[in-house]
Amino acid sequence: MNRSLLIYVMAPALGILAVLQSVVAPRLAILHVRPNPMLLFVVGWTLFHGRRDGLLWGFIGGLWLDIFSGGPMGASSLALMAAAMVAGLGHRTLYRTNLLVPVFVTALSTLSYAAVYLTILALLEANFPWRAMLERLAVPEVIYNGVLMLLLTPLLNRIPERREVG
Amino acid sequence: MRDSERRFWPVADIGIRLVVLSLAALVIMALQVTGRLAIVENVVALVTSPAQISVTGLTNSVTDFVKGLREIRDLQRRNAELERVNSSLLVENLRLREVERENQRLRELLAFAEVRPGLELRGGQILAKVIGRDTNNFRSFLLIDLGSRHGIEPGMPVVTDQGLVGRISSVTERTSKVLLITDPTSTVNAILQSSRLTGAVSGRPGDNPIMDFIPQGAQFSVGEIVLTSGLGGNFPKGIPIGQVIEIRQRDFEIFQQAVIRPTVDFDRLELVMVVTNFDPLEFVPELDNPPASPATPEPGTLLEEGPPQPTEENP
Repeated sequence: MNRSLLIYVMAPALGILAVLQSVVAPRLAILHVRPNPMLLFVVGWTLFHGRRDGLLWGFIGGLWLDIFSGGPMGASSLALMAAAMVAGLGHRTLYRTNLLVPVFVTALSTLSYAAVYLTILALLEANFPWRAMLERLAVPEVIYNGVLMLLLTPLLNRIPERREVG
Repeated sequence: MRDSERRFWPVADIGIRLVVLSLAALVIMALQVTGRLAIVENVVALVTSPAQISVTGLTNSVTDFVKGLREIRDLQRRNAELERVNSSLLVENLRLREVERENQRLRELLAFAEVRPGLELRGGQILAKVIGRDTNNFRSFLLIDLGSRHGIEPGMPVVTDQGLVGRISSVTERTSKVLLITDPTSTVNAILQSSRLTGAVSGRPGDNPIMDFIPQGAQFSVGEIVLTSGLGGNFPKGIPIGQVIEIRQRDFEIFQQAVIRPTVDFDRLELVMVVTNFDPLEFVPELDNPPASPATPEPGTLLEEGPPQPTEENP
């Protein structure tokens, strides 16, 4: 698909994904921890197409998420962009074909997403229990997203890759 | 082009993109914190809330279907027993069960209104449907299908027949966000029903809320009911919050703590009630709540709009 057209398709598509994350993901919660489909999408896309696109989808997807969230607008964008930067580490065919690399990259990306998001909340809200959040919610989310990526990787491996120089 | 140049430009492109998008996100954040994004939020909520309502309805149907599948085994067993008596009654019973459950929920909500005549409950309009939850694991918010055009204002308490849910943190024209009592930034002044000890209930990440600031040496027991105390003027007095399930007492601390199991099952919330005639004395707006003057609906607005159309969930 033409790259300039892609954004017109992706922007509303990410909105739909955000609606699903708001309505459906809470029903998939395990021990109060919900999966993060938007994060998985951004990480998956970055793994297969590189950081350049991942950053853009992270920015747009984050804005959509913040519309349905009680957190500050733009916080999810910054957090998803950080996740995309980390996920870019795995954007190499050599790494990608290894099943463990996407899982490891997803775990690292989720952790960086949580770190950026919680830092923003801690900066904006006094006495925000970021450490407890990190221990009780971020770590389980790392595991949850990692397992989901493990299940998704065989499907994602069928997607043709676009190599990014650099 | 040399190899080094070929490598430099894509990296520079990513760097520029990262800086530009990060700055854009920070500008958007600043605009929201200063309340200049309200119009955009209103427009987006206007577009997205119908989608959320539809997806919520669809998700509820799928959940009910799956639940129905699980129940089939039980029903088959029961059917075999009852077949002797009257097999046709079972079919009728199945159809009526869903209606009865809905009816029961509404009767409970009505009973809540009757035992608290001090709280104005404007017919069906006060009933709000939960249309979404926070997209983030780190916050505990609900999205409901009522907004400023229905008379909803920030700070209004949100309850169910089971007890306290939270309070309105921000409103758009058609939707509102509810800060749940389980959110770590939420604090509710509370009182223990039997021992009359007061404290403050706060949410904890991924865990049951805790009642803090209970004086050392004061006697209370597991199982006590926790109610809103009305102190501070944020919530009406006497709304159930939960039940004490654990007492934490350390000699070196000034206060005792009680772990609370909320009376409301937040995972299964479908309908909530917004208390519209309670004026909170002090309400600190949330970050995403623009410091605009509270939206007061015009006198004719409610009549024109009328209550939400009767549905299975929101009659």
